[in-house]
Amino acid sequence: MAPRVVVLSLASDFGCQVQLSNMTEEILDVLGIIDLTYWQLASSGHMPAEYDVAIIEGAVTTDEHVELLAGVRETAAVVMVIGSCANLGGIPAMANLADLEARYLTVYGDGDGPKVAPGRRAPQPVDAFIKVDYHVPGCPIDPAEFLRVLSRVLLGLSDRVPNLTMCASCKTNENTCFYDKGVLCLGLVTRAGCGARCPSIGRPCMSCRGVAPDANLPSARVIAVAAGIREGDLDDALRIYNTASEVGR
Amino acid sequence: MARLSVEHVARIEGHGNVTVNVEDGVVRDVRMDVVEPARFFESMVVGRRFEEAPLITSRICGICSPNHVVTSIKALEDALGVEVSERTKLLRKLLVYGSYLQNHATHLYILAAPDYVGLPSVFPLAESHPQIVERALRLKKLGNDLTTAVGGRQVHPITAVVGGFTSEPGAARLTALREELLRVGKDARATVELFASFEVPDFATSGEMLALTADDDYAIYDGETKALDAGWRRPARDYRTFIGESVVGHSNAKHSTVGGRPFMVGAVARANINAGRLNEAGQAALRVSGIALPTRNPFHANTLQAVELADAAARCAGYIERLLGIGGSSEPVAFRVRAGEGGGATEAPRGTLYHSYAIDDDGIITAGDVLTPTAQNLANLEADMRAFAPTVADRDPEQFALLIEELVREYDPCLSCAVH
Repeated sequence: MAPRVVVLSLASDFGCQVQLSNMTEEILDVLGIIDLTYWQLASSGHMPAEYDVAIIEGAVTTDEHVELLAGVRETAAVVMVIGSCANLGGIPAMANLADLEARYLTVYGDGDGPKVAPGRRAPQPVDAFIKVDYHVPGCPIDPAEFLRVLSRVLLGLSDRVPNLTMCASCKTNENTCFYDKGVLCLGLVTRAGCGARCPSIGRPCMSCRGVAPDANLPSARVIAVAAGIREGDLDDALRIYNTASEVGR
Repeated sequence: MARLSVEHVARIEGHGNVTVNVEDGVVRDVRMDVVEPARFFESMVVGRRFEEAPLITSRICGICSPNHVVTSIKALEDALGVEVSERTKLLRKLLVYGSYLQNHATHLYILAAPDYVGLPSVFPLAESHPQIVERALRLKKLGNDLTTAVGGRQVHPITAVVGGFTSEPGAARLTALREELLRVGKDARATVELFASFEVPDFATSGEMLALTADDDYAIYDGETKALDAGWRRPARDYRTFIGESVVGHSNAKHSTVGGRPFMVGAVARANINAGRLNEAGQAALRVSGIALPTRNPFHANTLQAVELADAAARCAGYIERLLGIGGSSEPVAFRVRAGEGGGATEAPRGTLYHSYAIDDDGIITAGDVLTPTAQNLANLEADMRAFAPTVADRDPEQFALLIEELVREYDPCLSCAVH
């Protein structure tokens, strides 16, 4: 029987779900081997009581999200998180750098604010609340990487996210190192696996895939300063995606 | 009596609940509760370097991210006094139109079409009407290919920065894209025919309509804001002086008014305001649609998006021709970082998108503001639901629900944009 799959979103920009819908050449094949039972973005209908695989996009930002995740973990045999928000807290977690109430007042003023979706909480990644079985990092995810991970889910293989940093990918692509030009690039500490997409077309890495387990942050800070980058700038740039992880703190 | 309560309306971007309650022909309650949680983007950019704003604000919306990037860059360039090359402007237009092709195709075929063929989603059509699904995927793919060629990937473009582009596609790739664009013209026309064949209610919105307008193009990148009924044209950068935003209790997205009235942005407003600027393919598609402009019917939005597809494919082919002919450079121009305030706008698939920022002498952002199309449309959508519901309250409950949801989806709401 084809595994029953649900796609769920917490606080996000839906970009990773758009990437799923962008698999224009593969989507019909994928739909042939899974039973997509719930996807609010693309279909009417209700969340089913039973399913096998839950694909989750977005950061946890409300008490309702926490309750939803508890139910998902009880029901699903496999939980897969997609994108920086669900994997790391990502950009929504930048809100944690200052008092959340103060941000609320900045956006809504001090009058009567909206009364919907109460139970606001500091944005966190999904694995801060439940065990996650498979990870597809990136902002947004790369559809090819998603398909590789989905294959591993369907074949029952283990999760395998690269532990290396991105520098080797840049060397493979014969990119000039940004540090040679005195420009800050977070590829030095960021989890590999995207093929150094941004540096290969002229943009330094912003660490949307998170800090690699193999990263040597103290050395990276020394290298950045030696290349003429202001002390503290590397950590400050890491806070865009990695505020909710230990490294960004 | 007709009641409707839908939690998490399907086939829209983001989380919203719709409540409609009509008793004896009198509307008791109409609400679009936007429960999508706020992420506080306007406060997040404060204290960050100006170059980071396009990257951060792009993550407001994964669906129209090219628009957020380009609009953010335009607002920053306005603040910094940066002038960019014609080549850069053409590439930015292609980036925005890539988003149009992708979005309009997704909205029309995946989100809206199932309403009119009585299906929960587009997926069953892959079996019964493969040629329709293949056409949808071709249009979507071409939009993605355009965004990827210019921006580096489909969602959250990489190469567009303040002053220009860090990389651009070569002539061979541009030529191939131009051929694809010319070929897809017939898919766009077939889309117009398909949507024109669906029966839609005869209904008129009472709202004002706003869109960018320019003297030399169907405005999506340049131009001033124009109001259809009031007739004025104003610099888009000053949007906060003519569009009012207010906080409402049932929605994490604010509501907007212009001159005290709700208003509509998007394909209907654009087509009404800029009908004379549609190119030949667009004019031909408009004739096929059977829609007489100006129209006040929000149910014409889908078909007019399809008309825009036909216009866009031919228009982008023209931009590419110009790019191949003019030479020049899109390399980021040099500029001096200085304190300033600036604003900018583009037409996103769902309507006009505005960004504005204040920057200090060190290039640090001290204030940011984003006004998205859906945030502008929400008050008008509720007003339309209030006026429309009593006219169909005698239908059976299922039909009533479908008609209200169709109206919601004609607005193509993007709730993560609206809340941000």
